Amino acid sequence: MYEQHGAVVAPDEPVDELTELGPASGGNPDAVAEPVAYAAAGITKSFAGAVALRDVSVTFLPGEIHTLVGENGAGKSTLLRVMAGIHQADAGSLTLGGEPLTHLTPRAAQQRGIYLVPQEPTLMPHLSVVENLFVGILPKGRLPFSIDWRRMRETAGGYFAQLGLKLDPRQKAETLSIAQQQQLECARALVHNCNVIFFDEPTSPLTAHEAQLLFALMRRLRERQFTLGFISHRLDEVLELSDRITVLRDARVAARFDGAEATRDRLVNEMVGHEVKLQRRTARSGGEGGVALAVSGLTRAREFESISFAVAKGEVLGLAGLVGSGRTEIAETIFGLRRADHGTAELEGRKLLMPSPRSCIDRGLIYLSEDRGRNGIFAEVQLAENVTASIVPHLPRRRGLLRPASERALAQEAMDRTRVRTLNQAALIKSLSGGNQQKAMFARWLVTNPKVAIFDEPTRGVDVGAKADIYTLIGGLAESGVAVVVISSELEELTWICDRALAIYEGRVVGELAGEQITVARLGRLIVGER
Amino acid sequence: MATAPSDMHLARSPSPPVDAKAVARLVRQSLARREVQLVVVTLLVFAITTAHDSGFATTGNISFLIADTMAVAIVAIGETIVVLTRGIDLSVAPILGTAALATGFLAQNHGLTPLELLPLALVIGAVMGAGNGVLVAFAGIPPIIATLGTLAVYSGVQGIIANGQEVVTLPPSYFNLGNDDWFSAIPYVGVIGLAVALGFALILWRTRFGRNVYAVGNNAEAARRAGIDVKRVLVIAYVLSGTLAGLGGLVFLAHVGSADSTTGTDSNIQLTAIAATLIGGSTLTGGKGGTIGSYLAAIFLSVALAALVDFRINPIWEPAGVGVLILVAMLADTTTGRPTLRSILTALLERPGGRP
Repeated sequence: MYEQHGAVVAPDEPVDELTELGPASGGNPDAVAEPVAYAAAGITKSFAGAVALRDVSVTFLPGEIHTLVGENGAGKSTLLRVMAGIHQADAGSLTLGGEPLTHLTPRAAQQRGIYLVPQEPTLMPHLSVVENLFVGILPKGRLPFSIDWRRMRETAGGYFAQLGLKLDPRQKAETLSIAQQQQLECARALVHNCNVIFFDEPTSPLTAHEAQLLFALMRRLRERQFTLGFISHRLDEVLELSDRITVLRDARVAARFDGAEATRDRLVNEMVGHEVKLQRRTARSGGEGGVALAVSGLTRAREFESISFAVAKGEVLGLAGLVGSGRTEIAETIFGLRRADHGTAELEGRKLLMPSPRSCIDRGLIYLSEDRGRNGIFAEVQLAENVTASIVPHLPRRRGLLRPASERALAQEAMDRTRVRTLNQAALIKSLSGGNQQKAMFARWLVTNPKVAIFDEPTRGVDVGAKADIYTLIGGLAESGVAVVVISSELEELTWICDRALAIYEGRVVGELAGEQITVARLGRLIVGER
Repeated sequence: MATAPSDMHLARSPSPPVDAKAVARLVRQSLARREVQLVVVTLLVFAITTAHDSGFATTGNISFLIADTMAVAIVAIGETIVVLTRGIDLSVAPILGTAALATGFLAQNHGLTPLELLPLALVIGAVMGAGNGVLVAFAGIPPIIATLGTLAVYSGVQGIIANGQEVVTLPPSYFNLGNDDWFSAIPYVGVIGLAVALGFALILWRTRFGRNVYAVGNNAEAARRAGIDVKRVLVIAYVLSGTLAGLGGLVFLAHVGSADSTTGTDSNIQLTAIAATLIGGSTLTGGKGGTIGSYLAAIFLSVALAALVDFRINPIWEPAGVGVLILVAMLADTTTGRPTLRSILTALLERPGGRP
């Protein structure tokens, strides 16, 4: 096992060229050597009666980036998870380089050179970057039972230079941002000498710039005849990157495209099964409704400085910025999750003194967190109770006891507004698709009847259909007089839904655009500190 | 609590068109519930033991087995609330012991009745529970460490109160409360325990505090962001756990009739209570489970261990039996991603490579 990787991590050959990493890099004959095609045929898989994949056949070829697209719940992730041995298919077969694979486990898959970069990075938080990278294949040192730390660090440094990553090999994984964790996962696939690499929505937590770095890497892997599978909800990057595109809808293959012949409209139509138009909201000048939220001089040491802005009733204000620019920290400070060093926020002319989430919610200010898995859902709790969690103190009761019937009616009303598509309110929320979970989180905040709504990455990891619903929802909220603040890494999204946009760079507001001025190009320059 | 019967009535009223599939589904769904599983398994153990020894199924024995486990059951109900918040309370044994000892002395020396001493037992429990709550919620000490510490501290308090003395003679009212029953089948304390279990089931299901307990146990950070005062929820949970341990102390005193400086800790009652909580369907990862399961699990444990004795198995195996039951209960949970008993058996029976 260790020797197998010796060729790759030889200490005196610092890894500078990708040629050192490729499947054809030689070394141990047992190690993956040849470019291989990986095919799934007739895969069917269901979970507790719900069919996730129905007779799905897809072939991934070496030297190609093959992208799976589809709405949440269409079966994309499940297919990759079956092919990586995480789930076992109920029916169908897997063939790697002409050889059938049976009883595939994650470990067996990795030994055969199949690596899945998961949607949510699964690093070991208390271990260092380099330990995470080499987990399972730690190189032996000279003494028995010892580990060759120096070799590991040097090799890791080589890979990081390759990927354009600025990571300290000794840093603890828990201190990494989501983007950095994702990057580390990609590096891990290379270190483990895999030649079939699947990326399950790697870009959803990444900024545009970070995503471009990843794409550059993927293209180079393609040149080296790696077999690459990719899932993304961002259609521009799908079109930019893919050699082949398979559209899944309702657990089946709906369409197959060559990268060249695919267009945005054709993909979207196949994904949702009917026509959807994402279009720019008619921008309106704010101000006529009066200021709803005014932030002045808000400062937190080392996070952001002197942030001042105002949002009017009925206005949608965008906050654009890279991950780590301070945009989420600003929102969390306004919502009382962090304490400001200086500065204040005023809600309808009244200062928010010592804000807490409870006091903000009760006064009409809400904040949708960017990471619904970590900071949003109560996985083992029913959908309806997830929706009403923020207004439990105000729910109707009789003799001090909550009344489930009227609570459910309230939840249903909010879920209808946010178009949560599910039949059963009593279902545990963890059984819902990502898009529906996100809409349920919107419903949780809409039942509070907010005056000011801050949405942090409102469409992260959400499919096109759900995205359109969420944009409609945000537009409708503004229409009804709510002041909306949208934080997003997707600049295109901001151009669609915002009346005004602020660019945040290194904790400061560096620019403001309004109406037609808001373009991807201008925002893109501002958020990296250019004028 | 007055609204409960109407809801139960609604739930029970049968839908007119009875079709076999729907019935089968209903049966399958209810068998997936831990409460139903426990009732079925308890009856099963009971039937098997009775077939072996007809003396096992006397009403007197049933009554005794229930009364004998009620202190554990009541402590387990409090433990369940803490476990639901993703915590654990190891200190319930000396809380029970201290309450039993303090009330026992007053009963022995001053002839106070159980009802007169009830407030004292509850207050002792609440104060000790509040100590745990403050350590967990405000000092941010992990629950297992905080309550491991107070387990020792409260045992010390119990020793100081004992001061070398024991409770040995109690007014007859205690014996009556702890061991008498209605129709020589339904023990008084069993009804008290059932009332506590149902009452807290209702609180967990239909009050703000109950909702918040599940929210905090599932995801404390998400709960904070939904405007829930997480610290307050935690403190209340530990106070309730302590209070119920105090009540358990009084029930223990009445049933056993004695108390000393090691009552509670000597029988590791906290471990039995945690076992009942886990067997009852709550998980240490929080946010899942309920009090009725814990109540039924305590009775199940009592019956199962008595059955062991009836089959003349050396009592030395008792702790191992409890351990095995915890493990079986974990494997019987089909709602997690873990392998279940069934899948393990299938895998073992299936010949390697036998599947296409």
